Amino acid sequence: MAKGVLVDLTKCVGCGSCTVACKLWNDLKWDPQNPTVGDKVKLNDKNWTVVGRHEVKDKDGTPVWRFVKQQCFHCKEPACASACFAKAFQKTKEGPVIYYPHLCVGCRYCMVACPFNIPKYQWEKTFPLVTKCQMCSTRVAKGEAPACVSVCPAGVFKYGDREALLKEAKSIVAKDPKYVNHIFGEQEVGGTSWLYLSDIPFEQLGFKTNVTHRPLPSFTEKYMQATPYVAITWGAILTGLYHYTKRRNQIAKENNKNIKA
Amino acid sequence: MQNQADKQKQMTRRGFLKMMGGIGLAGITASIAGCSTDPAGGKGWMPQQYQVASSWPIQVKGRVPIDPNNPSIVRDDQKCILCGQCVEVCEKVQTVFGYYELPIKDDITCVNCGQCTLWCPTAAITERDDTARVLAALKDKNMHVVVQTAPATRVGLGEEFGMAPGTFVEGKQVAALKKLGFDAVFDTNFSADLTIFEEGTELIRRITGDLKEPLPQFTSCSPGWVKFCEYYYPDLLPHMSSCKSPQQMLGALIKTYYAKEKGIDPEKIFSVSIMPCTAKKFECQRPEMNSAGKHVGKPALRDVDAVLTTRELARLLKSQGIDINNLPDAKYDSLMGESSGAGLIFGATGGVMEAAIRSAYFLITKQDPPAAFLNLTPIRGLKGCKEAAVDIPGVGTLKVAVVHGLSNARPVLEAVRKKEAPWHFIEFMCCPGGCISGGGQPRTSLPPSDTVRQARINSLYNADANIYKERKSYENKEVLALYEKFLENPNSHLAHELLHTEYVDRGKKLTAKKTV
Repeated sequence: MAKGVLVDLTKCVGCGSCTVACKLWNDLKWDPQNPTVGDKVKLNDKNWTVVGRHEVKDKDGTPVWRFVKQQCFHCKEPACASACFAKAFQKTKEGPVIYYPHLCVGCRYCMVACPFNIPKYQWEKTFPLVTKCQMCSTRVAKGEAPACVSVCPAGVFKYGDREALLKEAKSIVAKDPKYVNHIFGEQEVGGTSWLYLSDIPFEQLGFKTNVTHRPLPSFTEKYMQATPYVAITWGAILTGLYHYTKRRNQIAKENNKNIKA
Repeated sequence: MQNQADKQKQMTRRGFLKMMGGIGLAGITASIAGCSTDPAGGKGWMPQQYQVASSWPIQVKGRVPIDPNNPSIVRDDQKCILCGQCVEVCEKVQTVFGYYELPIKDDITCVNCGQCTLWCPTAAITERDDTARVLAALKDKNMHVVVQTAPATRVGLGEEFGMAPGTFVEGKQVAALKKLGFDAVFDTNFSADLTIFEEGTELIRRITGDLKEPLPQFTSCSPGWVKFCEYYYPDLLPHMSSCKSPQQMLGALIKTYYAKEKGIDPEKIFSVSIMPCTAKKFECQRPEMNSAGKHVGKPALRDVDAVLTTRELARLLKSQGIDINNLPDAKYDSLMGESSGAGLIFGATGGVMEAAIRSAYFLITKQDPPAAFLNLTPIRGLKGCKEAAVDIPGVGTLKVAVVHGLSNARPVLEAVRKKEAPWHFIEFMCCPGGCISGGGQPRTSLPPSDTVRQARINSLYNADANIYKERKSYENKEVLALYEKFLENPNSHLAHELLHTEYVDRGKKLTAKKTV
C-alpha cells in the first residue's frame, strides 16, 4: 500500500521542528540567507522543506497567521520521473519519489517538468546534483515515518496508507465546517502522497491550485507511445533511401565510365 | 623490438606513484560527483526517540515556537537537536505551550519567562543579547549611564565565575559594574522596598473598601506572571495590583527623581538593569513603560533602556577582562542604593509576601511587628503553593498565599474565578523558586535543580538575617526621603503617575483551552 502524509494546516504553530528534522536526518547545510521558517522562506538545494508564515484573513475577516510547510508532494504519477530519461527519479512502491544521484546526467528536465517547482539544483557546486525532499525513503522503507512527521509537537501530521488518510480527511472536512471543502493533493496532477487540510482557501496560502487533475505523464503518453513505430518507420525509409542513392550512384559511375571510354 | 617490449614491462617507482595518483583522483572525482548507488538523503542522524516504526506516540519531542521578533529570547536553529526539553518546560512547568486551542490567531503565545533557555541542553535558545547596546552607551561620553541590579543576581553571578551555587557576591557585583564604567550603580532592592509601601497601601485600601477593587490582591512584580494572567485569566486583571515591578519603578525614578536631584537632562540618561529574568526585556519594551518620558514631556523616552540578564552581565565582564573573584567589595551609590532585607528577599518565592507582611503590620498599627513576622517559615521553601494566616490588630486575620511556577498558579486562579479563594493577598512568581531561578540566571544545573535553587534562596535569607542592617522596608531611609522630597506619600497622585500601571487584555490573542 502506498504511504502518505495528511497535513492539517490549522494545527501548525510554526515551531519549525519539521525543518530542523529534515536538516538533521539528511545532513543538509544551513543557509543563513534563506531561513527555513518565517516570512522569507525559500526552498533550495539545502532547504528541502520550509515553513512559511502567511498573514491572511479568516472567514470572519479577522487577520490571522497560518504556517504552511512546503516540500515535494510526491505525486502518484510524477512528471519528474517521467521526464528523466536516465531513471534518476523513481517512484517507489511505498510512495516516495526518490532521486538517485549516480544515475543523474544533470539535464534538469525534472526541474522543467515539475508543476510545483520542487527540484532544485546545486548551483554553487563543482559537480552539481538535483535535490529535493525524499520523503525519507530509507525510513519509510523500514516502516518509520518521515523525519519531519515524527518530530511535530503540535499533531499537524498523520502518516499512514494514503487511501485511508484520504478517507479520514474527507470525514474530517465533512464533520468540521471550519475546513474548506478541498483536500489539496487528492486530485491535483492525478493525486499526491501528501494531502493537505486547511481552514483558509489554499490559493491564499501560496498553493498552486490551478493545476490539472490529470496525471502529467498522461499528456505525453499518447504520442510517446508512437516512438518505436516512428523509429522503425524512419529506419525503413532511410535504409530504402540509402540503397536507392547507392544504386543510383553506381549506375551513374558506370555510365560515366562508358562515356570516357 | 625485443628491447622495447622489455622496457614496457618495467614499472618504475615514479610510474607507480603516477598511476596511484591518477586512480585516487578519479576516485575523488567520482565520489564528489555523487557516484554512489544510494538514493539521496538520509545520511544524517536523529535523536533516538524518533527512530521508531511507524508514527508511534512518544513523550518528549519537537520544540516550542519562537517569534523572530520576541524581545526576550532567540533561537539558533543550527544548534537545535529537537530534544523536546523546551516543550517540556513550557507545557508541563509553565502551562503555556499547548494551553490554547488551534488554529492559533495572530500571535505566538509566549510569556517571555525564558525557562526554555535554562532547559535547552545545547544553548540553542538564549536571551536576546543586548550587551553591545550597553557597551556602546558606556563608551558614549555624552551619556550618563545608570545601572540597577535585581535582588537575585547577587546570588547567581558568582556561579558564572566558578563559585558555589548561591554565593553572595553583592559587593563584588557593584565593584564590577563600577569597573565597567557605569556612572551610578543603584539597587533594585531599593524599589522593592518602595513597592512594599505602594502595594501594601493598596492592599489596605482594598481591604478597608477605600479602593473599589476586588480581593484577593495579586502581586505584579513578575512580568512573566503578569503576561500569563493577561493571556489566560484577563477576567481576573482587576485583582492585579496596579504597582509596577521594582525594575520599572526604579527606571521611572532614575529619569525623574535622580535626574532632578543631580541636575541631569533625562534624555542624557541611559538606564540599564541587571536582571535574573528574560521577561524584563519584554516588560521594559511595553508601550506604557514611559512614565518618566511622559512626566518630562518627552514620551519617546523609555523608563529602562536596556535589560541584561545575569548571564549577559557575566559575558560582558569576561569580554572586558573583569574577574569578580579578584575584586574587593564596593557599595551601592546613595539616593537609591539603600535597601532592607525585606527588599532583598523579593528574589525568592514567598519573599514579596514576607516583606509585605513585615510592613503591613507597621503601616496599620504604626508599631514594629513581632519577631515571628521576621521569619515566616510557612511561606518559605520550594512547595508549589504555600499559605499562611497572620493576625494584625485592627484588621483581623490576614490570609495569604504564595505560588511559584505557572502550573501551580492555575488551580489557585480557578479558585479565585469560582470565588472560592479564602485569601486576601496572593504572591505569584512566574519561575519555579522565584527570581533566583529566573530565565536569565546562570545555567548551573541542567535542567535547573532544586538543590541549586535552594542554595540561592538560603543565601538570600542568610543575608536578610545576618548581613543586612535593616529587615523592614519602612526602615529604608532613602525610601522615606524619596517620599518626603518627591512623592509625598504612598499612592499619591505622582506615585500613581510614575509607579503604577495598567494591564492589557490579551485574551483576544488566543482561545484558551479549558483545563477544568
